[in-house]
Amino acid sequence: MKSFRSSEKSIFLEALDIESAEERLAFVQAACRGDQALFSSVSALLHEHEREDNPVDTPIAASCAPGLLASEESSQDDMGSDSFLGPAPGSMIGPYKLMEQIGEGGFGLVYVADQQTPIRRRVALKIIKPGMESREVLTRFEAERQAIALMDHPNIARVFDAGVTATAQPYFVMELVRGVPLTEYCDGQQLDIVERLQLFVDLCSAVQHAHQKGIIHRDLKPSNVLVTLQDGRPLVKVIDFGVAKAIGQSLTIRTIYTRFASMVGTPAYMSPEQAGMSTSDIDTRSDIYSLGVLLYELLTGATPFASDRLQSVGFDELRRIIREEEPLRPSTRLSTLNNQIATTIAADRRLDPSRLASTMKRDLDWVVMKALDKDRNRRYATAGSMAEDVSRFLMHQPVVACPPTAWYRFAKFARRNKVAISTVSSVSVALLFGTVISVWQAQVAIRERDEKEVALTEARAAEEKSNKARDELEGFNQRLNSTTVLLASGRVHADAQRWPEAYAAYSRATEILPRYYLVWLERGRLNARLGRWDAAAGDFSRAIEIGCSAQQAELLGVPQLLFYAGQSEGYERIRKEIEPFGHDNPMSVVTRGLLVGDLSLNAAAELAASVERILSNAESRQPFSSDKLQHKYVSMYYGANLYVSGWAHLRAGNTEKAIERLQQSNDAEWFGKGIALPLIAIAQHRAGRVDEALRAFDDSQRLLNRLLDESVNRQSGAPAIPWVDWIEFLLHHRAACIVVKGHTPATDPRVQQMELAADAAILY
Amino acid sequence: MTEITRILEQIEQGNTASAAELLPLVYAALRRMAGYRLQREKPGQTLQATALVHEAYIQLVGNAEIRWEGRSHFFAAAAEAMRRILVDHARRRKSVKHGGNFERQDLMSDVAAESGDVDQLLDLDAALTRLGTEDPEMAKLVELRYFAGLSVEETARALGLSPRTVKRNWAYARAWLGRELNEGESQ
Repeated sequence: MKSFRSSEKSIFLEALDIESAEERLAFVQAACRGDQALFSSVSALLHEHEREDNPVDTPIAASCAPGLLASEESSQDDMGSDSFLGPAPGSMIGPYKLMEQIGEGGFGLVYVADQQTPIRRRVALKIIKPGMESREVLTRFEAERQAIALMDHPNIARVFDAGVTATAQPYFVMELVRGVPLTEYCDGQQLDIVERLQLFVDLCSAVQHAHQKGIIHRDLKPSNVLVTLQDGRPLVKVIDFGVAKAIGQSLTIRTIYTRFASMVGTPAYMSPEQAGMSTSDIDTRSDIYSLGVLLYELLTGATPFASDRLQSVGFDELRRIIREEEPLRPSTRLSTLNNQIATTIAADRRLDPSRLASTMKRDLDWVVMKALDKDRNRRYATAGSMAEDVSRFLMHQPVVACPPTAWYRFAKFARRNKVAISTVSSVSVALLFGTVISVWQAQVAIRERDEKEVALTEARAAEEKSNKARDELEGFNQRLNSTTVLLASGRVHADAQRWPEAYAAYSRATEILPRYYLVWLERGRLNARLGRWDAAAGDFSRAIEIGCSAQQAELLGVPQLLFYAGQSEGYERIRKEIEPFGHDNPMSVVTRGLLVGDLSLNAAAELAASVERILSNAESRQPFSSDKLQHKYVSMYYGANLYVSGWAHLRAGNTEKAIERLQQSNDAEWFGKGIALPLIAIAQHRAGRVDEALRAFDDSQRLLNRLLDESVNRQSGAPAIPWVDWIEFLLHHRAACIVVKGHTPATDPRVQQMELAADAAILY
Repeated sequence: MTEITRILEQIEQGNTASAAELLPLVYAALRRMAGYRLQREKPGQTLQATALVHEAYIQLVGNAEIRWEGRSHFFAAAAEAMRRILVDHARRRKSVKHGGNFERQDLMSDVAAESGDVDQLLDLDAALTRLGTEDPEMAKLVELRYFAGLSVEETARALGLSPRTVKRNWAYARAWLGRELNEGESQ
């Protein structure tokens, strides 16, 4: 029987390859060699193969009627039905008092809540539905939290807090945004194309900001992009940034599909790679795709794949559409609309229906289609560059996006120039966005332009060479893209304390683009965070060598590090570079960098005066300053600045003022609390109060012991305080030992342990 | 780390013995999720079993770095679990209909179509079991594709075959099941 089965199978499979029915029949007849039973069984198989109505073709869901499981499960399930109705208004969750329920999303219920402590404010509180493991949601949130806290952008709703309710449901606390979805707002207000695009540029800048902090939204859609009015002007607010990752839910098409069925989610904004199965493979370019869908919808009034169509197909077909089908271009979509709809859409955009399509043709088509490319390598590399292209359209300049192949030959020369043009305008757009696109990007853009110009000069010399140069250009762009992605993933890993993965990502980036200083800077910061001082000093020196501007916030602590690592040449060079810059940066980057080295009394006094100015500024500021960003930094660094001021006074010989400030810094709440102790010991010694000095030194020694133990326990090369504070503390403590005790401190065995741990931390 | 993630990691490290622990865990989780989901659905909505399996993967394994060996085991277990859950309930449903604890059906609900679905599922299950005794590999393939909703490429990776082979075997298994079920009809 077995041989019958196996020959049945092999004959069937071979017959499949034969297209013509006659030949196929002849083959089967010949292969069965007169075995009538075999012949009829193979024929039946082939007949079934041709039939379209096979039970396994229908997704299994169709056979599973609702209520089938439900009626039984509800009696057995301990998940009582009222648990997902959510808590009633008036009840307390942590320090939050629930007011009214304002929404129900795919993840959970959203309430307005009053926060009672430590400050009174009105927030949005989102309770995650049961069925997601709360501990894991919180672990993931913790991993993301640091990055989420770094986001500070007017177009991003802040995420304040996360916790677990008494019934073990995770919740998130967010800035309360009273707004309407972007698309609804635009249609309701009948915004014209230009006004729509301006809001879209704001949206891009928010996304760009988050991406720079290593946060991917993963679920951009109109209901997460709200428009609210501020001083009578529309303000875009993106909500739920970082939440999707923490919940770990929105990542795949399966979950979206399930929710789609219950009408709380839609796959229309999902990128092709999200429609794949892998959850680990999502990067910033998935958000770019979603931005493309949003722009498409703003322009045409519909998503590239109509929601009702997506809803009517089965799961596999849905996946196929998103991954394979090319959507109509926006202008084509508009020109195929029937008259009545076109009139509505045109009216919503204050356009003459006949002009509707032509306005959109040309450049905007390509902008949208570039963002929607199935191959993410061909999408915009960043939300910023997409915003630039839209801005270029608004300023009547040619866009960078262009049709994939046809244009290439004919516009080769024009395009070369356009590349240069676009780089220049990318710098101006960078300035336009101010805080959003940081200086390094502009510098990268300029360097990129330089590389391109070199390549282009060669290209003009000979046609053959020109092709090669073009490849180099493309290669460079690709390398830049992959580097950006690596850096983002490195940051995410580092924030989740997955050191080996973070180190590997950064190192890979240094190999791909060694002339890009950000890669060295990032790896240097990781090394410093781990206490790998020499490696960090090497990375930072490299970054500065290839042109990293020394005054950036990213370089906080680098001079100190070079000083500590004994790289006096490197320290001198960076000191000379930062010296001319103003000292009024609330983070005191320059001041701290200068204080660690040789300094005249006058110079030190000047530094002290500048920090005092920052302090009095901070003191005079109202609790709710209009300049939110400034306010946040000022209060965050107040404690640090008390310490920096004390340190500067000490260097300037102003001992009593120094002691006052240093002690205040020990009472303030900040990350480096306590690192002023060795400085106090030195100051007391100078003031002739030997006992006080010894006491302060002993306190300092105790703190050092505690931090060393902490590092050893953490199996890492550094304690949990910021590394710049740690390194300054080590320097101060050594100085204090010499001044107060009269000798250099003996090397602590734990230091060696730490170094070993730090080196081990980055190994897989 | 969840219990399931731990087992998947052990499997990746070569300890395939722990695969046996996987099925009961995945079964329990899927059953809980299916029950919860259906309880929430509005009348007239359906549950996509394959979507549920993948949602289960996200929830139970999440972002843990599980390579293909581990994932294959997960989906194999989930496919088997899903099959059992659906078949179990179809059976119970049938026994309820045949008198068990009788309830009046809403006249509007399409009882015939529903019971047709139930019968079709039970028939398919029986045919699949027969296929499994003759050619276990084929039955496994059908489970992965039909109950876990894996694509051709995914199935190929899970079974360690080429996509072409999977496509051909699928054609064979599909025809085989079709023939089996149609014979049942004509008898």
